[in-house]
Amino acid sequence: MSLQMEQHEYGTPMQRYWSPYAMNGGTGLAVSGADFAIVASDSRLSEGFSIHSRDAPKTYQLTDTTVLSCAGFHGDILALTKYLEARLQMYEHEHNKKMSTSAIAAMLSTILYYKRFFPYYVYNIIGGIDDEGKGCIYSFDPVGSYERETYRAGGSAGSILQPLLDNQIGFKNQQGVVKTPLTLQKAVQLVKDVFISAAERDIYTGDSLVIRIITKDGVKTETFPLRRD
Amino acid sequence: MFLTRSEYDRGVNTFSPEGRLFQVEYAIEAIKLGSTAIGIQTNEGVVLAVEKRVTSPLIEPSSIEKIMEVDTHIGCAMSGLIADSRTMIDRARVEAQNHWFTYNERMSVESITQAVSNLALQFGDDDADPGAMSRPFGVALLFAGIDPKGPQLFHMDPSGTFIQYDAKAIGSGSEGAQQALQDTYHKSMTLKEACKESLVILKQVMEEKLNATNVEMATVTPQRMFKMFSKEEIEGIIKDI
Repeated sequence: MSLQMEQHEYGTPMQRYWSPYAMNGGTGLAVSGADFAIVASDSRLSEGFSIHSRDAPKTYQLTDTTVLSCAGFHGDILALTKYLEARLQMYEHEHNKKMSTSAIAAMLSTILYYKRFFPYYVYNIIGGIDDEGKGCIYSFDPVGSYERETYRAGGSAGSILQPLLDNQIGFKNQQGVVKTPLTLQKAVQLVKDVFISAAERDIYTGDSLVIRIITKDGVKTETFPLRRD
Repeated sequence: MFLTRSEYDRGVNTFSPEGRLFQVEYAIEAIKLGSTAIGIQTNEGVVLAVEKRVTSPLIEPSSIEKIMEVDTHIGCAMSGLIADSRTMIDRARVEAQNHWFTYNERMSVESITQAVSNLALQFGDDDADPGAMSRPFGVALLFAGIDPKGPQLFHMDPSGTFIQYDAKAIGSGSEGAQQALQDTYHKSMTLKEACKESLVILKQVMEEKLNATNVEMATVTPQRMFKMFSKEEIEGIIKDI
């Protein structure tokens, strides 16, 4: 031990490794309509070529009208969601009301930015009902940049799903298309279809799909099997 | 050992045998030396009106400020030791901006009042950390604002107790003014009526003759939010009295 250390002369460059992060995969997706929002995720938890769990959905119900989807490093997801829950409870006690979806989104942005230089390695998407009763989606990057959108895919197969959604919901790259408003039924079917496609190509997405349907009456949950290999 | 009232009012944190904190009660008494302030809540908005004691013709009346903006949607009127209110208004403003920064929404009037009331009992005579108050605040506040629940009026006293009111008067003329408010207030009052009524009542309880320079007035409405009245606007209302 001491011999080894003596080999290094003063001022010689040395490299040490420190990797506090892991990537545990997982895909999240949120779609909103006139009076509903859908937040979906797969339930696979993996690391490299091994699967840690086939039953670890990445959707978190925050309030009666808000659901969060998180993908990335599972340790950070656990820390972040636990902290969010505490903040939600504190807000409720301080202000005697439930947090609105937009307030949760703004708060999550500040929480993420406060760790700007040691970030939570988490890709977040919030889906819910806004103050006017309309469906709403907020997407985030790991350091808190956020935006309200109508649909968004994130996580390991996010880049596979997003162009599909652009085409099917955003009616992008189509000519002479009739832009019909998205119905709940069509949205649920679409979510299932795109996840089946993602599970075909992405090894970090699969096992099963959890769909959370948020309306003014609350959150309904639906599960759907995906390929397990 | 028998201690009279005068001995229990020394320490600010010592209960008397009857269970009272005399210094806090004295602070509440101090409000009754302050100039009168009135707040009236209507369906259209809230009005705040205060008397300004211009004790010398050499005083610049506009330098006496007893109504202050906390945020665009909340105003505050005060009576008592106005210097003490600086600390509280500072806190209210910081809390309002903090809330907006974190949640991207306006803080409710009740939450602002709650946040400021947390300051009220942070006094003590021993093991005080730097910046802590050695005595209770000697000021009462009226918070008026607009939030999702509509127009709201809250009163807070030096004990930190806060209560929502339809109409409330504080300060030296508060007894008479509160009685007058009770007689004249009704739920369907318009904001214009409330503005006029607040000046009518101030006129009754003020020692000096009421004019546009010795009163201050502000409204908080959903349309224009916090708005201080100019001298001309006050003159316009006085004319109607």
